[in-house]
Amino acid sequence: MMLIYRNLSDHRTCVATGRGLAIWLLSFATLVNAQTGTTPDEGVRFNPPSATLLKNGFVVRDHQREMFRGDVLVRSGKIVGVGVDVSRPADAQVIDCAGKYVYPALIDAFVEMESTPISVPADHWNAQIVPNRRMDLQISRDTKRLAQFRKAGFGIVLAVPADRIFKGSSCVLTTSDAAIETTLLRPAVFQHVRLLPSRGAQRGGYPNSPMGAVALARQTMLDAMWYQQATQAFHADPSLPQPDRNEALESLERASRGQQPVMLDGPNELFALRADRFAREFALKAIIRGSGREYRQIDAIAATGRTIVVPVNFPKPPEVGSSESIAETSLQTLMHWELAPENPARLEKAGVHFVLSTDGLSEPTELLAQVRKAIDRGLNRSTALAALTTRPAELLGVSELTGSLDVGKLANLLVTNGPLWDRSTKIVETWVQGQREQYDQNPNSIDLNGRWSLTLNGPSGFPAALEMSLEKMQDKPAGRIAQEGKLDDEAKAPEKKQTDSTASQTDKKSASAQLKQLGARGERIAAYFHAEVLGIEKLSGPAHISATAISTGESVQLSGSILWPNGRTSSLHGLLAGKALAQPSHESNKDAKQDARAENLPEQETGKDQSASDASSNVVISRLNYPFGDFGLHKRPEQPRRLMIRGATIWTCGPQGKLPSADMIIHEGRIEAIGPNLQVPEGATIVDGSNMHVAPGIIDCHSHMATDGGVNESGQAVTAEVRIGDFIDSNDISIYRQLAGGVTTANVLHGSANPIGGQNQVIKLRWGAVDEDLKMVEAPAGIKFALGENVKQSNWTERTSVRYPQTRMGVEQIIRDRFEAAKLYSRKRSEWANSPRGLPPRRDLELDALAEVLDGKRWIHCHSYRQDEILAFLKTLDDFSVRVGTLQHILEGYKVADAMAKHGATGSSFSDWWAYKFEVLDAIPFNGALMHRAGVIVSFNSDDRELARHLNHEAAKAIKYGGVAPEEALKFVTLNPAKQLRIDQWVGSLEKGKQADFVVWSGSPLSTLSRCEQTWIDGRKYFDRQDDILNRKQSDELRLHLVSKILKSGEKMASDSSDSNDPSLWWVRYDEFCHQHDHDHDEQTHEGHALDASSQEHR
Amino acid sequence: MMQLVKSSSNIAVALVVILCASIGLASDQIPGAKQTRSIVIMGATVHTVSGDAIENGSVVFSAGKITAVGRSVAFPADAERLEAKGAHVYPGLIDAISPIGLVEIESVRATIDHRETGENNANVRAVAAFNPDSELIPVARANGLLVALSAPTGGLISGQSSLMMLDGWNAQDMALQADCAMHINWPRMTAPNTGSGRSNDDLETLNQLFSQAQRYAAARASDATQAVDLRLEALAKTLDGKMPIIVGATSVAQIQSAVAFAKQRKLRLIIFGGYEAPECAELLRRENVPVIVSGVYRLPTYRHSAYDSAYTLPQRLHAAGVQFCISATERFGASNLRNLPYHAATATAYGLSEQVALRAITLSPAEILGVADRIGAIKVGNDATLFIADGNILETPTQVTHAFVQGRKVDLDNRHKQLYRKYTEKYDRQKSAP
Repeated sequence: MMLIYRNLSDHRTCVATGRGLAIWLLSFATLVNAQTGTTPDEGVRFNPPSATLLKNGFVVRDHQREMFRGDVLVRSGKIVGVGVDVSRPADAQVIDCAGKYVYPALIDAFVEMESTPISVPADHWNAQIVPNRRMDLQISRDTKRLAQFRKAGFGIVLAVPADRIFKGSSCVLTTSDAAIETTLLRPAVFQHVRLLPSRGAQRGGYPNSPMGAVALARQTMLDAMWYQQATQAFHADPSLPQPDRNEALESLERASRGQQPVMLDGPNELFALRADRFAREFALKAIIRGSGREYRQIDAIAATGRTIVVPVNFPKPPEVGSSESIAETSLQTLMHWELAPENPARLEKAGVHFVLSTDGLSEPTELLAQVRKAIDRGLNRSTALAALTTRPAELLGVSELTGSLDVGKLANLLVTNGPLWDRSTKIVETWVQGQREQYDQNPNSIDLNGRWSLTLNGPSGFPAALEMSLEKMQDKPAGRIAQEGKLDDEAKAPEKKQTDSTASQTDKKSASAQLKQLGARGERIAAYFHAEVLGIEKLSGPAHISATAISTGESVQLSGSILWPNGRTSSLHGLLAGKALAQPSHESNKDAKQDARAENLPEQETGKDQSASDASSNVVISRLNYPFGDFGLHKRPEQPRRLMIRGATIWTCGPQGKLPSADMIIHEGRIEAIGPNLQVPEGATIVDGSNMHVAPGIIDCHSHMATDGGVNESGQAVTAEVRIGDFIDSNDISIYRQLAGGVTTANVLHGSANPIGGQNQVIKLRWGAVDEDLKMVEAPAGIKFALGENVKQSNWTERTSVRYPQTRMGVEQIIRDRFEAAKLYSRKRSEWANSPRGLPPRRDLELDALAEVLDGKRWIHCHSYRQDEILAFLKTLDDFSVRVGTLQHILEGYKVADAMAKHGATGSSFSDWWAYKFEVLDAIPFNGALMHRAGVIVSFNSDDRELARHLNHEAAKAIKYGGVAPEEALKFVTLNPAKQLRIDQWVGSLEKGKQADFVVWSGSPLSTLSRCEQTWIDGRKYFDRQDDILNRKQSDELRLHLVSKILKSGEKMASDSSDSNDPSLWWVRYDEFCHQHDHDHDEQTHEGHALDASSQEHR
Repeated sequence: MMQLVKSSSNIAVALVVILCASIGLASDQIPGAKQTRSIVIMGATVHTVSGDAIENGSVVFSAGKITAVGRSVAFPADAERLEAKGAHVYPGLIDAISPIGLVEIESVRATIDHRETGENNANVRAVAAFNPDSELIPVARANGLLVALSAPTGGLISGQSSLMMLDGWNAQDMALQADCAMHINWPRMTAPNTGSGRSNDDLETLNQLFSQAQRYAAARASDATQAVDLRLEALAKTLDGKMPIIVGATSVAQIQSAVAFAKQRKLRLIIFGGYEAPECAELLRRENVPVIVSGVYRLPTYRHSAYDSAYTLPQRLHAAGVQFCISATERFGASNLRNLPYHAATATAYGLSEQVALRAITLSPAEILGVADRIGAIKVGNDATLFIADGNILETPTQVTHAFVQGRKVDLDNRHKQLYRKYTEKYDRQKSAP
């Protein structure tokens, strides 16, 4: 059957795919009647007949149009006829599709493929930026993989380059093995971007954090735009310096103008939102490669209006086979197992435009089963089909070519033995560009089902005639054999579901034998049966039957032999006597029609389809909450219009001081009045404060919580372009735990790996809100600087100790140097703005941030320990007329408190940490008090997820060590950090007009014996210990219900309970460079943090 | 040097002045001299811990031993009298495990002496490397921490810890019990019906080592030619419960495994860490296995754990009847043992009574480490290892004004206070300058 066509690489056409199940019936001959190439003919030409008529199938043209019983005519790789009765051209081969379903083949809009590197002379300086990679030119096609896609029903895929930040351009290919010039439908379809560095990126390489990756991506977009301007300027005036040629930037021109869509990875729901924001920043036409976690922030995802490529790699259940493993399994993991299959349905309901993809599945052939799961969980069948055909066709810009069964489109067909979304339906064949490939166990057009009369010719004493019934030969072959006339009795017998173990017993009693190991391949069948049943003397043991079906026009005959237990054989001839016994094809057609029609019906009807029978096992017991899983809220805490705290001891930290038995009234989230015996406002919500203390919410001036991409971009000594705000993780459980310790605001800082680090982000701990809503918008911009051991890499290995600077001398110089650079940069930019002459100046995000520092628009928060480096740093700042925001850690601040006060520096310190590294040997707990006494604004911070939970205990240490008055000591964690962050106008104390961020304590906030009872932010109660106790009980119950659901489901459990696909678990949430103390490694491991070895070695 | 007290309380000012004079003005901390004269602390609230607190009580000690405790006590006429009205007397606080004395700065390798190389270091002894002049020691004892178990770390069997009094000229003098316990890090375990089903190599190693130790001990007793094996020699000390083993174990699986192991071999087991100990409390209670809680200031283990699960751990153990004590090692190891009372206080905020919390850092560790006849309570016959504070030791602002180790007066000064004075002087001079 192999016809070799000259345009095709011949060795490929001969390869049968898979495990030999597929057979090439028509080869690429169908492609060739019209001349499509220019290669001259050699030898004698091939011109075989090229038409095929698929007759009498149930034809589903697309997800919208009514299914009908009819024909599809294919010629030269295209559909040339579709209809109820398409006339057969003389040369057409006819394929009987009775009982079968013909769909358009599926389209996968995201398939990562390998590419071959090509050397480009004018590449980007950073190896992570390869937008000039082109899959149409560089793809290395894996034919085995393509065969898997065909087998899974796919005719077309988007071949996407894998890895890197700017990954390059994808192309649309058919899944055919034919030469690329035949199968490539569209080159350079999308530019692909992911805002993550390569996993396992070298510590020394830049970027090595997602923050760094997005900063580099941002700079790259700006560079691409600058490159265009500069090149234009040069062309207009060749006397200007010629911009360096850069293929990478050049290749981004179309994307930067919104002409080429950009597909951005969104490996969890927050990353998807970040991807959208990035696209918005540069007005990119964007598509998001989803993660299957979109349901967790469905409204925010819907609001992006982006098309999402949605995977269906629903998780295996976590291992819950033992009480220990249950104890380790979070509610989040359990709920994700339960709710993930509902992701597509929820996206549909939310009106999100999406396509489905095999992305994340280990084999594309798993797709159908997964989509069926999604349908069971509410996804409309017709949406499911659209999301794999018309929608991706449109998305990829090939809807003229494919996606539906219409004349003129590619003959990409999917033939099944039942409605596509029925559980038992199998893909029988896939057609790609007119090329047919069959898969089923019995890819035979001859229908073998029915009752057969067998005439035998063999040794005397052996039967001369038998009866045989065959059914479900397409997928689950079953059959029986008996003496003539005995078959019917048995067929009516009640035991329908005979298992193998009971079969032989039944056989002994009954007159017919089960055909065991019945298999059909092509037109041939084979089986064995227990010959005793035939009741013939001496015939005991298995008899083997094998036969071939021969179709002669209307009748079908079987021809073969039976090998008897004694080694003798009889020849066999069979005639199909009728279909009275079983009518599987008829039955399934009837079902099929209903189901198929259902695909075109509105959702409420499809809800009643076969999945209804599974309803009981599909009762969803998880309720979506925010953030998803453990301790999430079902709704945002209410903000009472008026709230009154009555009869509490109020530590205002403001001019009113400490008021015993006072009231506080809050109006729409702002403090309205504080004082004794206030009048109860009409309709106010009352909080009884008797025996309670109320104090301002704690402000942590040095935190790394709620970061979602690591804390450090340590790839360069200066990373001012990096922004913590790009990666706020509103799902971090630390937010909740710290709320329970009274923290309401935190300064989330970049780590201390470099002299000039990234930009910080002040957040409010609005648990349950999405990342952007955590940001405290009033807070002015800031940036992290660092001095000393960490930035000079003192405690790193020898291997890594090469980067400048390696001494405190060098630290001072590099900061000075960058300030000079920023100064010059600002001047050049303003000069050009005034009179644009020469090449336009390039925008540099790193220098932008430093220019803001020099302009006093961005506050420095500088990690510092020793007095020498502190003085040197303050001198540098004075030279540039910059005032520092805070000196962080500042453990020798007490030695230079006078200089700090003179400069106007504030100090944010640990209360009593010391001795964890050499530069903190002189750290003393009196530091805070000494600085305070010298007139420096002092705060105590945590820099630690645990310590942050009891910063009130730390404040009390200012009393113990140095005798700070209690009310002043409390300010160390409330008003003073607010002043340091320049947000004291809004928070930090309880004063009229300020935001109602406060804590209800069971006793004095400075007592170790007190407990945080409630935490309020913006007049909303985000933590209440009583609610927490109730919630944890309910949450434990839900966990156990989900565990029992998993065990009932019988699904294979994962070997590991952590979700390693979630990028939020890839990076540490503490500054691993900062201090030596233990960071609860156990917890890291349990939460599934995949700490790479390199991030550990420098602690 | 003791003027700090003024800021938080006036009650003991007079007393402080007297004591400063008696200790002398040494700028570096000099170990206290042997007690030659009886001392009587009068009019204080005496937290005996072994019994009820005594309001307006007195404590008398002579030659390093407590001789009388009560409302009205007899004392020699020449006794040194400490009027301590309004003050509180406590037994010295005991931290039940940390590398104190074996490390100065964790990030400076040269200063680390608690991690020997190799998996089995049963033979190494903390007392051999304990640095009596570590700057960390005066910092710890300034807040009443007078006794600490100094323990090696690392490997499968880390070595032997020493129970150290935190005042003295050298490690031998300071050791209350030189070879106190054998420290073992229990292998990580999974449930019996999950995971790979692979046998745990480390557990097998432990099995073999203890079997070898048994045979070795028998051979040494009967066969003079048996060559000495220092590791097995050391392990043999734990057989028949002579020396306790302190096993680092967090999970239920680890704890169960360690208990089974110890019971089978008749070892005296103490669990260290014990985060999930309440989940197997019945086993621990029945088998009399005590738990050293490694810290209260800890994060919950899992995302789904209650936020206060570490804070309530002591109370849950107490309610379940498990013998336990609290250590401060979980945070910063040796450098911030001074915060031990706040670990206990936090457990109090989350349910433990103040009495039990105080016990968990005094008498309970003494009992668990087998020295309750010496320290941990203020009762007649015990060592006079105690301190006076101007308030509730569980509260942060409270200052320790006097401390005694076996009756020796402890210099409560330290590097931190010295630097504080030095720089106070700097700013005072600036103020007084024209």
